[in-house]
Amino acid sequence: MATSAVNSEIVNLTETKRITNFQRFWRAFCRNRVALIGLMIVVVMIFAALFAPAIAPYDPIEPHYTSVLAAPSSEFLLGTDELGRDIFSRLLYGARISLVIGFVAQVVAISIGLALGMISGWYGGWVDDAIMRITDAFFAIPGLMFLIVFVAILEPSPVTIFAALGLIGWPSDARMMRSQVLAIKELEYVVAARAMGASALRIMVSHLLPNAIAPTIVLASLGIAGAILAESSLSFLGLGITIPNPSWGSMIDLGRNYTLTAWWYAIFPGAAIMLTVLGFNFVGDGLRDALDPTQYQ
Amino acid sequence: MTKYIARRLVQVIPTLWVIFTILFVLAYLMPGDPIRTVLGEEYERIDEATIEGIKEELGLNKPFIVRYFEFLGQMVRLDLGKSQILKEPVIDVIGYRLPRTLQLMAGGMFVALIIGIPAGIVSAIKQYTWIDHALMLFALIGVSMPVFWQGLLFQLFLTQEKYGVALFPVAGYGDGDLTYMILPSLVLGTHLSAVIARVTRSSMLEVRSQDYLKTARAKGLRERRILLRHHLRNALIPVITVIGLQVAGLLTGSLVTETIFNWPGLGRAIVPAIQSRDTPVIMGILIFGALMFILINLITDLIYALVNPRIRYGT
Repeated sequence: MATSAVNSEIVNLTETKRITNFQRFWRAFCRNRVALIGLMIVVVMIFAALFAPAIAPYDPIEPHYTSVLAAPSSEFLLGTDELGRDIFSRLLYGARISLVIGFVAQVVAISIGLALGMISGWYGGWVDDAIMRITDAFFAIPGLMFLIVFVAILEPSPVTIFAALGLIGWPSDARMMRSQVLAIKELEYVVAARAMGASALRIMVSHLLPNAIAPTIVLASLGIAGAILAESSLSFLGLGITIPNPSWGSMIDLGRNYTLTAWWYAIFPGAAIMLTVLGFNFVGDGLRDALDPTQYQ
Repeated sequence: MTKYIARRLVQVIPTLWVIFTILFVLAYLMPGDPIRTVLGEEYERIDEATIEGIKEELGLNKPFIVRYFEFLGQMVRLDLGKSQILKEPVIDVIGYRLPRTLQLMAGGMFVALIIGIPAGIVSAIKQYTWIDHALMLFALIGVSMPVFWQGLLFQLFLTQEKYGVALFPVAGYGDGDLTYMILPSLVLGTHLSAVIARVTRSSMLEVRSQDYLKTARAKGLRERRILLRHHLRNALIPVITVIGLQVAGLLTGSLVTETIFNWPGLGRAIVPAIQSRDTPVIMGILIFGALMFILINLITDLIYALVNPRIRYGT
């Protein structure tokens, strides 16, 4: 009875500590105005993507032949393209594609990176050497170049784009995870888990992985920005995926030919990409500063 | 130093071999019928036997391993083959376009250094002041700015009387007229300048508390001299590494920049080559990209050894 009371007290203590840690982090994050602006941008973009059908005044692929390349007006908020399609509506639907690409690419990158980083750090020796050399090699390859080669060989489809962006993104996750594992693998609780006969997989999932959550979020936030930028560059070069619904990059690619006659066509999708990337970068930077324990004092 | 250079040069050979092998396997796996690319429209009108003949002539019927060694042989002889679409040797295509890409990259690098390093220094010296905050905010925006969007904005506001001022030509190469280079260089250099500013700042801050700076101050040296000879020189070592890593990014950035400004470099060649599946041109440009990449790494390492004697004499 007495022991259980003490136990619950300990649980309570750790609980409160966890909350204050989070509060401390949240306070540090909120103090950073740039990061808050970034968070607002990201939230607005996600809302725009989620509720695109409700917000969009027109169907994104419905042409209006009577108002082709119309300038922004109260009828067409951000103007129309060469088929008279409403650019604002197309941007909203485009947000879905860009955000999904960013998120899925990051899931792929993080899965590869964390798994390899964990194996590398845990087993050490030649396994570590081999994985780290591969990581170095991938780090050295310029992302867009890799994407272009990838698309040159395999036809561009959503799956190839996700795979390619994931393959570009994982090295930083792997390095981060490896250093986390190296830092904690000799700590008592990990050694204890080993002594109790826990399998390597179990130790990795329940002891090593939770330690990497915070830095992973930072890397993911910056990585989403990078993936969106890379995909839009690819679309801009005319090598992206072709789907009925527009991606931001492909809108710029089409609109580029009208820059001097209908500036709104290419400039607004570009602004959307810029804002989204900026938002994720702001959030990532803010998170990194807020999670940095030296800032807590 | 000579020994160090020699060792680094020898290390290039296995790297090249790995790159050639990867590229060969990629080209082998590339879908699409090369015969169709060569013949174009005529393909539909030609009988089986002729197609077999062409396949034999192009060596497409030989086994994988034979073709692999033939490819390696070609690479050693620097024979990149002929473009299937343009009907001219790939080496001529590259010979015309590579210098123009390099010219653009040099312009981008110049812009990046001229903006990035002073911004980083000022930011570090004035740490936590509004100048620092403003510069770092600009750097963050610079990192997030898509190259193509910045290019379009510049074209809109700096080349058109209608929307801004007509200071520069819209696009094109202008036969070496340097005014044509200004906008593309600015666009290409912006991202790198932001990266350099951030690295310079953090490196300056790291070096700031070193003992040799205290010694220099204690000796009574002037602040200006301390800053340039002691502080900046040591802080630049990580900056050089980052520049070396980022030059590759400059190369891919130039693909996009060339597309915007209609600059006749490699980027304007590889994109249509991919769309038309002109394999020799794609391969040629990728090989040259890889060569440039290796060369850049080599130069970075050498500069690094030059500024940091610990590397030269170690090992």
